Amino acid sequence: MIRLELKPLETIQDAWTMLEQAIGVEFGTLPPYLYAMFSIPPGQNVPSASRIKSVLLQEMVHMCLACNILNAIGGAPALKPPSYPGFLPGGIGPDGKPLKIRLLRLSREAMKQAMDIEEPVDPLDFPDAPLEALAAGPTAVTIGEFYAALDAFLATLPGQAWKSNRNQITDDQFFAGQLFAVNAYPDAHRAISIIVSEGEGAKDTPLDFQDELAHFYRFSEIYRDKVLTKAKNKQGYQWGPRKLGVDWTKVFPCIPDPGVHDFSKEPAEAQAAQAACNLAYSRMVDALQSAMTGTAGQLGVAVRAMFDLRLAAQVALRTPLRDPKLVAGPAFVYTPTSGGASQ
Amino acid sequence: MSVLETPRIYFRGEIAWDPITTNNDPDFYNENTAESVISPGETVQAYRESAIQAVPTGLWNPHGTHRSIFFDTEISGADLGAGTITDDPFVGSPCGFLGMLVDCEPYGAWSSQQFFDSMQFGIAGGCQISCARTMRAVARYINFVRNSHNRMIAGVGSVIWQTSFPKAALQLDAHDSPALIALNKAIAAKDVLGLTVRWNTYRTIYYDNPCLRNGSAATAAAAAALEAKLNEGGFQPNPARGLVVGVIGLWRKSEPAQEPGDRALLAALPGEVVASAFARLDRDRLTIDLGNSIPEVDELLSKQDFGDLKAVAVAADGVTVLAKLGSLDYHQYDRNSYERASGIVTLRLDAKAAKAAKGANIQIRTGDGVLVLAEQALRALPTDHNLYLDEGKSAQSFIQVFKHGAPVGAGTLVTIYDGNSLASVGSATTNSSGVAAFTMSSIAGGAVEPYILVAGPNPVAPAQLDPQTTPYMYVRTLPADAATAALPPTWDNVYAKVLANWNAMAPCMDNWLRLNDEAQVRAYAPVLKQLTDPGNFEAYRFMPVTRDMTPGERTLLYAFLDSAPAAALEMAEAPAQKPRLRNLEKMSRAMRSR
Repeated sequence: MIRLELKPLETIQDAWTMLEQAIGVEFGTLPPYLYAMFSIPPGQNVPSASRIKSVLLQEMVHMCLACNILNAIGGAPALKPPSYPGFLPGGIGPDGKPLKIRLLRLSREAMKQAMDIEEPVDPLDFPDAPLEALAAGPTAVTIGEFYAALDAFLATLPGQAWKSNRNQITDDQFFAGQLFAVNAYPDAHRAISIIVSEGEGAKDTPLDFQDELAHFYRFSEIYRDKVLTKAKNKQGYQWGPRKLGVDWTKVFPCIPDPGVHDFSKEPAEAQAAQAACNLAYSRMVDALQSAMTGTAGQLGVAVRAMFDLRLAAQVALRTPLRDPKLVAGPAFVYTPTSGGASQ
Repeated sequence: MSVLETPRIYFRGEIAWDPITTNNDPDFYNENTAESVISPGETVQAYRESAIQAVPTGLWNPHGTHRSIFFDTEISGADLGAGTITDDPFVGSPCGFLGMLVDCEPYGAWSSQQFFDSMQFGIAGGCQISCARTMRAVARYINFVRNSHNRMIAGVGSVIWQTSFPKAALQLDAHDSPALIALNKAIAAKDVLGLTVRWNTYRTIYYDNPCLRNGSAATAAAAAALEAKLNEGGFQPNPARGLVVGVIGLWRKSEPAQEPGDRALLAALPGEVVASAFARLDRDRLTIDLGNSIPEVDELLSKQDFGDLKAVAVAADGVTVLAKLGSLDYHQYDRNSYERASGIVTLRLDAKAAKAAKGANIQIRTGDGVLVLAEQALRALPTDHNLYLDEGKSAQSFIQVFKHGAPVGAGTLVTIYDGNSLASVGSATTNSSGVAAFTMSSIAGGAVEPYILVAGPNPVAPAQLDPQTTPYMYVRTLPADAATAALPPTWDNVYAKVLANWNAMAPCMDNWLRLNDEAQVRAYAPVLKQLTDPGNFEAYRFMPVTRDMTPGERTLLYAFLDSAPAAALEMAEAPAQKPRLRNLEKMSRAMRSR
């Protein structure tokens, strides 16, 4: 389970810092989830790809909502693209140490990592494979608790602390029904409730506020290759019996952690493919940075860059390395293209 | 019939519409030749820029994708025979639908359809109905006076969508849901083919602003802002948003799959203020689908108050009342009732009234006797609502005739009229199943033509195609394009004669495949051939989305994809082609409607 360091919240600057961290965590989940999703060839492992994609899209929404809150209280979002393998901002793992996030193709290991990131404070225990209870460090909180503390602080802010319509990203182009402007505390509270609900679900159900499975359980379904199914038992659910249909072998043979791979020894085509991925990713980050700070049209530029990244990844994942049995997915290495994002 | 039986399940929510609008305009697209109108010497980039410049004139979404998607849509209730319930465990479950919105006739608004792969009600592992597509969803009975308050592009309108799923395409997991348990039991009946899903979309908002009105300064400002955004680059869709109410119910043998086949109560007020509705008589109950019928009058979506609406059975003269069937007070058709039961209302009849209603026409009248809806007993409904033909080909198409919502027997005359000239183009009589067969022929050079269907003896040509009252079908002929097929399969030819069409009109394609990049196109050859294979025509991902690739274009494209790059480079230059003639009459008509 990812736990985040929680410092006392006393000033609005503390809230800005906390929201920056939240934005970093939401953004930071994208590369590992994208890597796993990209590693699935078209038409293969469809239920798995669909579940990972659904989480990815919601993480993007969560990031935008966190930006909206930060903008609404006068802050200025600054994307800090992480390097992988590496750590989520402020992230602390189950043993009280930072959890190193890796870029892994679709695999049990990748899904376990995703479950670790998304695990709620008290994961529901369903028959067939009960989960171990996890101990919390004294200064570390779950993402849900982290947001709860933020929510409690935001509730105390006076009305004039909220700046209406400041650099807000709404659903007028993308994410219909999911993105909305934060203009006052009730909007922020709603945004936080959605982020926590979709990530962790409710205390007594694996479902989120829209009766969809929370992220942890979507990844668990892939990990276990079983559909979480309603059941007439104490818990209300059980794993299976229907299988999800995961075939761990039906993935591109991509290496783990391409960010630390020495591509200078790889064929020129593989180097070019990586360069194309990194360029598209960097453009996406820079456009996102502009969009978050209120530049009209830049979200559309970022989305186009995201599609470019996908196209570049598809080339990379079909380009053999020196060992012709292997390929590499995108390393998500950021290089500023327009001075947009922070490093 | 169908969804008007119980058990039935309701859903409600919203839908995003994201069509490319460029092909709605004859300045940019020729629907007869199925080609983007790229002037000699004009580049694809210049064409795209022209489309952006046309945003202020009404082309509101040059970066559309054709996708339409449910959002914030959930199961809202069920009726197991004793009225609407909202405490079933299935209620609140999410509903998922992702379709490609494509007009068979791109200039017009009456031939919309959605190509999709699945509909999902609930989630895997929970209470769910999972439906794999077997046929597209079709729009019918478009109502252009639905919401007079919302006069913005098509925001004033509403439309009925319908598709059906055979049993083999369904997975229904009832768990602890009485509604799904009842549906599961009912669906097992021998004469039930599967499930029909019917939904109504209405109150469409453009530019994400419910206050915009056609021709207003605010609308001009919104269009200017979009134009500026488009000029920033990137991917800048401008989806519209609408509301949805819908119903899931039984699909019985002989019931039409893609439009209501129930008893048709047609719009009778001047201006069709109350749009056509559908009714089913089941022993002591008359169920009426008013899902598309009662207009909203304000931004709060308040329904127009007509006072009590009375259902009566009338004699053949259409005036004499044979029996009073019941009455609906305003609260039975107001906004709350509409959203609670997706516009479906039920009247309990006494035995005498039920008997009278069985063989007589039904009407809906206001309390002071004004006729609002009048049943047309005989209806000839197409099974191919939007038929695509290649030039030179023909296809047999079947028309099912209903009388009071039930299939007729043998010997009923069906006449087809050209929807433009209103000339009779053929007639046939029904077989013992009430089906008349016609051979629909393609049109030389390509065209999109509507046909009106009239059932019964002594047919009279309708005054016009009225989607509220006249059953109709569209036939789109794609030109053979033999000259294109005969071109050498070089990159220059395949790009200029095939791919540039969609590269110009659909900038969204840049997200998935750069159509102007020979290497990419070649790299995706197997996928391209799969996605453009006519055998996959119904699939969500079929390419081109607009279903307008001509046989000649396909032949040239496949010849190119099958050729080796080096060989292609050595091909001789293409012989010069004669320029195609534009259908000026069609273009003129479309210009008038813009």
